[in-house]
Amino acid sequence: MAKREEKRGYGSKRFTQRMSIKLAVLFVMILVAFAFLSVRLFVINRDNGDKYKKRVLSQQAYDSVTIPAKRGDIVDRNNTKIAVSQKVYNVCIDPKTLNKDDGAYIEPTLTALYQTPVTFNYTKDELRSFIMGNPDSQYRIIAKKQEYDAVGEIMNMVNNPTMYPDFKGVWLEDTYVRQYPYNSLACDVIGFVQGDNEGAYGLEEFYNDTLVGTNGREYGYLNDDENLERTLKPAQDGKTLVTSIDVNIQSIVEKNILAFNEEHRDEAREGAGSTNTGVIIMNPNNGEILAMASYPTFNLNDPRNTDNLEVKVELDPEKFGLMNGILDGNPDLEGLDDSEIADAVRKMAEEGGKLEEAQEAQNAPETEKTENAADTENAGNEADTAGDDEEKTGGNDIDINVGGENEGEGEASGADPYEGLTYAEAYDKAYEEAKMEALNSLWKNFCINFTYEPGSTMKPFTMAAGLEEGILKGDESYVCNGVLTVGDHEIHCSNRLGHGTLTFAGALEQSCNVAFMKIGATIGKTVFMKYNQIFNFGLKTNIDLTGEALTNSLVFDVNRMTPTDLAISSFGQGFNVTMIQMIAGYCSLINGGYYYKPHVVTKILDSAGATVETIEPRVLKQTVSEETSSKIRELCIGVVDNGTGKSARPAGYRIGGKTGTAEKYPRDKHNYVVSFMAFAPAEDPQLVCYVVVDEPNTGNQAVSKYAAVLCKDILTEVLPYMGIFQTEELTEKEAEELAEKQQEFSKGSTGDGQTEEAQGQIIVDENGSGQDTNEGEGAEQETNGAITFVDGKADEEDTTERKVQIDPETGYAIDPTTGILLDPDTGAPIDPVSDLW
Amino acid sequence: MSENNRPKKKKAKYFFDYTMLFIVVFLLLFGLVMLYSTSSYEANIKFEDSAFYFRKQAVASAIGIGVMLFLMLMDYHIVQRFTLTAYVVSLVLILLVLTPLGYEAGGARRWLNLGMSLQPAEVAKLALIIFFASIVCRFSEQIKEKKGFIIVLALAIPHAFCVLTITQNLSSAIIIVGIVFMMLFVATPQYKEYIIIAASAIALAVIIVLLVKYDILPASMSYRFARIKAWMDPESFAADKGFQTLQALYAIGSGDFFGKGLGESIQKLGYLPEAQNDMIFSIICEELGLFGAIAIILLFMLLIWRFMVIANNAQDMFGALLVVGVMAHISIQVILNIAVVTNTIPNTGITLPFISYGGSSVVFLLAEMGLVLSVSRSIQLEG
Repeated sequence: MAKREEKRGYGSKRFTQRMSIKLAVLFVMILVAFAFLSVRLFVINRDNGDKYKKRVLSQQAYDSVTIPAKRGDIVDRNNTKIAVSQKVYNVCIDPKTLNKDDGAYIEPTLTALYQTPVTFNYTKDELRSFIMGNPDSQYRIIAKKQEYDAVGEIMNMVNNPTMYPDFKGVWLEDTYVRQYPYNSLACDVIGFVQGDNEGAYGLEEFYNDTLVGTNGREYGYLNDDENLERTLKPAQDGKTLVTSIDVNIQSIVEKNILAFNEEHRDEAREGAGSTNTGVIIMNPNNGEILAMASYPTFNLNDPRNTDNLEVKVELDPEKFGLMNGILDGNPDLEGLDDSEIADAVRKMAEEGGKLEEAQEAQNAPETEKTENAADTENAGNEADTAGDDEEKTGGNDIDINVGGENEGEGEASGADPYEGLTYAEAYDKAYEEAKMEALNSLWKNFCINFTYEPGSTMKPFTMAAGLEEGILKGDESYVCNGVLTVGDHEIHCSNRLGHGTLTFAGALEQSCNVAFMKIGATIGKTVFMKYNQIFNFGLKTNIDLTGEALTNSLVFDVNRMTPTDLAISSFGQGFNVTMIQMIAGYCSLINGGYYYKPHVVTKILDSAGATVETIEPRVLKQTVSEETSSKIRELCIGVVDNGTGKSARPAGYRIGGKTGTAEKYPRDKHNYVVSFMAFAPAEDPQLVCYVVVDEPNTGNQAVSKYAAVLCKDILTEVLPYMGIFQTEELTEKEAEELAEKQQEFSKGSTGDGQTEEAQGQIIVDENGSGQDTNEGEGAEQETNGAITFVDGKADEEDTTERKVQIDPETGYAIDPTTGILLDPDTGAPIDPVSDLW
Repeated sequence: MSENNRPKKKKAKYFFDYTMLFIVVFLLLFGLVMLYSTSSYEANIKFEDSAFYFRKQAVASAIGIGVMLFLMLMDYHIVQRFTLTAYVVSLVLILLVLTPLGYEAGGARRWLNLGMSLQPAEVAKLALIIFFASIVCRFSEQIKEKKGFIIVLALAIPHAFCVLTITQNLSSAIIIVGIVFMMLFVATPQYKEYIIIAASAIALAVIIVLLVKYDILPASMSYRFARIKAWMDPESFAADKGFQTLQALYAIGSGDFFGKGLGESIQKLGYLPEAQNDMIFSIICEELGLFGAIAIILLFMLLIWRFMVIANNAQDMFGALLVVGVMAHISIQVILNIAVVTNTIPNTGITLPFISYGGSSVVFLLAEMGLVLSVSRSIQLEG
């Protein structure tokens, strides 16, 4: 009890006024201490921040060693390696250790090193003087990226210090190099690695995080006795990508693309057979990409090499216009236009030394001027200061020169990137920029990056929209007079004479624009655009590759779409797509309406080969019903059986497909993108092959046959490889051709190096068989056969007889309304004309 | 009285310091984030579990929060009953380190294994705060005299001495003496005596430093002397005694104003020893920059300010002195920790309250917070 009362006694004792004051004093002292420490922090940052920042970075390499992780492999669907990382070694020395014991180890170590097969970056004498001259250095790489065979001996000596007591201060650093066993094969899909293990383009970039792994580290730390100890944290190797690509199919595709481009080389203009050629082969039943290729290609093992490439490094004459900064005042260049200046600069750059002189001569007066100015300014100052300034002026010749120019030229040359450079430097810089531009466009994956107007390959989509909505029944017929007026525009059909009356199927088979403009008008823009969205046009497919173009700004907005827009859209002009969008959409059109997300990687394995992730096919949506899909299949089979797609049929197979010929912007240039979209076999599609040829190097580009024939050539080889049997009987001619092809194929496959020769032979053979596309008559072969057939049909059914005059001089038909010369068989204009609409 | 009492029971409004509670919780959570950031790399290497330190600290924090809530809801006068017990038990615990119950970690024998590991020095700090609050209250008149003052101050000597000699923990000894010194400073009216004591302590420190500097006290004699030498010129001792300090300075200096970003420290990757422990503040500087560091200092200032407010308004002197003790504890530790990290004083192992790794430390700090909150709850706002 007493205790409790006592306690209450203390309890009543209050904190006195005086105590509060003392507490406040204490608080202020604490505040002062805090403030002082904050200032301390600030001072450390201000005074030593930069120094310490550098220390942090420098000791990183010194105290701890990064153990590089092996970048994961990339393999094709049959586990063929298409990208691998090879372990190699850097040979490093530690001069500090070598200099121990009065340098007793230098000579024995050097002798041992130079007896190995390794090629060092230094000669023995250079290395010796380096070691002796840098006794504090602890790290220097003396040979980079050596294979195991070369450094085996060094490794042995490093690992057995007791046997080689005089061999000191040398060690090997592991590192990896990325190798692509097939060089340029699938280069767009794979991408390459640059800099510090950073993937660029394709799978290498898209899956960079998966591939890189985690670097390990050997690091030093202080133990309890504050001695430096080393601990090893091993690297975690990157994961392996299993792709759906089939190296064999990919090779077939690339071989045929190359053959096509060689065949048409230098035909209408200098260069390869097309500006670009892209091919995608996809499995319509799961969205897997079997092959994806474009032309020109590049060597993944040497992606920066511009030799032997189609891409030419062109100096941009306009850029030389910017060189005014150094060109002005040069009397030799006055009055020249930009391209002449470019030539002149190129020439001068080649002469080298002379340029420097020329520029010095040009600069001299300005420099003097500046010096004078400096002198005048400093006139009143002490002699010391003036002297200093003069020294500065002398040392920074170029800077002052730049300054002088800025004053002289005003803002006009302010943005000149070549300012202050010599001619040679400016030339080099411009060349480098042009080269990088060319390489960047080369590295991009044409099949996912290139946006273009699809042309007639759009037509099955238009039909599907109408059929699916029930607006079209499939029993319609259309009359084509060769031209249709929509709004204020006259829009011509590819056949200027008109196709006459066409059935529903005939409209697709003959790829009649007029019929499709009518179909477009029937289904209306709302339905048309709704289906464009369903087919993903304007959206990315999100294929697992880097660089897919976004086309959302390149498609029509339904609210602003005019009847003309709808008319041209219905046959695939006026809006842009990418190849991958087209093929992914088309797959869903013919596989029963299942829109699969296109993808390249099917599985991810860890470094031990265990499966980490399986990427299952993903159906994103149902685009059309099975009924519509089967109808479209039937219609597309008709295109190859009876229509414009005849030339795409590989011997012995029945396939479906659709041609496409799209005129590029600007329309008056008459550049075309021709394409062919095929599926095979007809009854049970196992693959879809999409061929796009951008600006074929031919007199008249608007011939979809180029794409169709390329497609046929590819399918002729791919279908047997995939184990798909022939279902159709071969004609004698086909059998003959096939036999020849097989012969080449077996010849070509005897050795790796012979592929090119084999391709050469293809060209010879085709030329030999008279397929010369330069002559108008040659164009009869297959497409024309189809047209003739339709014409015959038209004759039977079309009651209005159309008179066609034949131009006596050329043998071409004459359009009765415009007088333009037409090919008598196809009805297409001989000289492509700008007034297509 | 009774008329006055009834509405009080129904309506009496008591204060509760939410500001302080918020700061404590914030510091605790922030500490866990920083601890994970700082320790995950090393934990992964040593234990193949990057959350090793984090998890242990999180468990300790949870226990600590429990203890804090318990003490907060309890009437703090109850602890007054344990004045002597606390004093004796804490001393015994320190002595127990000498028995097989004690164990060594990180090169020093400072821990007890009592089912869970416990650092007696942390117990001693809390125990002495309670003990001295109680004693000063009881002898508030006597300590105004020189004799009483010296006797009371001497009561701190056994703990400080044992901590210093048995556990080889100079910093904890300094903190214990510092806490008692500050509590007495507030409780007594004198200034002169304190100035004399402080001045002579500083003079002694300066003499030792000078003796070490001119090698009259050779660095080989004690590792503490070696640390003093390393303090004066860390770059010359970069390979051993100055290593940690120098690495901490690198971390601070490389942080710039806004830091490298949370988790982006390089120095924690095996360069800065004890990064999650005494040196965590330098990693804060590296990752969050001067900005983050000063924000943390401001938070501690705010916390100390709250202590002052609570002490000033406490219901009784015991409560007020408890809070002053806690305030002394937190401020000494924060100041010394940052002073070590910035190489303002020689290196000695002091942790940053709530943020550094250390289970015992966090539990006992939160217990102290519980006491302070309990004192704050007893502040009457009305009536």
